[in-house]
Amino acid sequence: MKLLGEFIKGLWRENPTFRIVLGLCPTLAISTSVFNGIGMGVAATFVLVGSNIFVSLVRNIVPEKVRIPCYIVIIATFVTIADLIMKAYAPLLSRSLGMFVPLIVVNCIVLGRAEAFSSKEPPLKSVMDALGMGVGFTWALVLISAIREGLGNGTILGIPLSSRFDPPLFMVLAPGALLTIGLLIGAMNYFTIKKHSRD
Amino acid sequence: MNQLLKFGLVLGIICLVATLVLAVTHEVTKPMIDAQGRSEEEAALKQIMPDADSFNKKAADNMEYFEAVKEKNVVGYCIKATGEGYGGYIRMMIGINPDGVIKGVRILEHQETPGLGAKINEVRPGEKDAWFLRQFVGKSARTVEVRKNIDSITGATISSRGVTDAVNKTVTEFLAKIKK
Repeated sequence: MKLLGEFIKGLWRENPTFRIVLGLCPTLAISTSVFNGIGMGVAATFVLVGSNIFVSLVRNIVPEKVRIPCYIVIIATFVTIADLIMKAYAPLLSRSLGMFVPLIVVNCIVLGRAEAFSSKEPPLKSVMDALGMGVGFTWALVLISAIREGLGNGTILGIPLSSRFDPPLFMVLAPGALLTIGLLIGAMNYFTIKKHSRD
Repeated sequence: MNQLLKFGLVLGIICLVATLVLAVTHEVTKPMIDAQGRSEEEAALKQIMPDADSFNKKAADNMEYFEAVKEKNVVGYCIKATGEGYGGYIRMMIGINPDGVIKGVRILEHQETPGLGAKINEVRPGEKDAWFLRQFVGKSARTVEVRKNIDSITGATISSRGVTDAVNKTVTEFLAKIKK
């Protein structure tokens, strides 16, 4: 039950995008299509799970003073594996995500979880935490990119929604990303505050 | 001293394990990635010269190029070129007709900054090819130059210049070689 709690907290209460507000750079950049959103979410989840397991396993032998380089090596290894696998088996996805796959190394969510969670907790709990954060990040990306692709390009996963509507292009450009994320975070804060005041 | 040794040892072991894991992954995925690269090359060739019947791979010195053949006549060349960008090398395919007029340029691989230099290969929604590269079509490859007849991308002069200079230099060298 405790384990499930570690998973669930990443979905909403501690959602990396909307509540902790980490890893916004890739979120802004790649949420132009749902396909990208899913790909990035899956890649980041893979890296999160892999690095959380290993950071947790070595947490008792890594000296405090060199922990950051150790974590970075572990994270970078998983990022490179994800990048190579993507290049080999999903070249289209790899091309459209481009530099953002190698840049998962500096995604604050990954290092943040290593530092704040898995360096203090046993592997099983760390896996659940990573999965929760990964799924939380993925659904946030899918939601943002669905809004942006739907409004800005008139499609979802490349399937046209309606022929009668002329999509405003700016939604798939940078301003659309900022607007969408800002409004979503605002909406989430509104509901959270409302819920608290009722309690 | 003792502590220093321990730091180095732990970090060293972690790096060693990471290297081993990566070496294995690299070996396993390499054939697949190479095959993808080849099929991307073929796709680029067909995009640049859609009316050619076949392409013959050739090499002159250290230059790799393809002869585009249509009804037994050479109608153009596609040359592989490497330019220096802001984030590393930019690999591209340049298509010219026998007089050196550009038929098309395609980026095969680059590591430019997303949002700035990466625009060299940006395709606007609803369009088929990259807007920056479209500028090259129809120009004589030996005359292309940033700020003269090629508009550079705002905030990405080095990347724009990297592509343009590579096109100019590679084609000039290439034409000198085959005229010999």
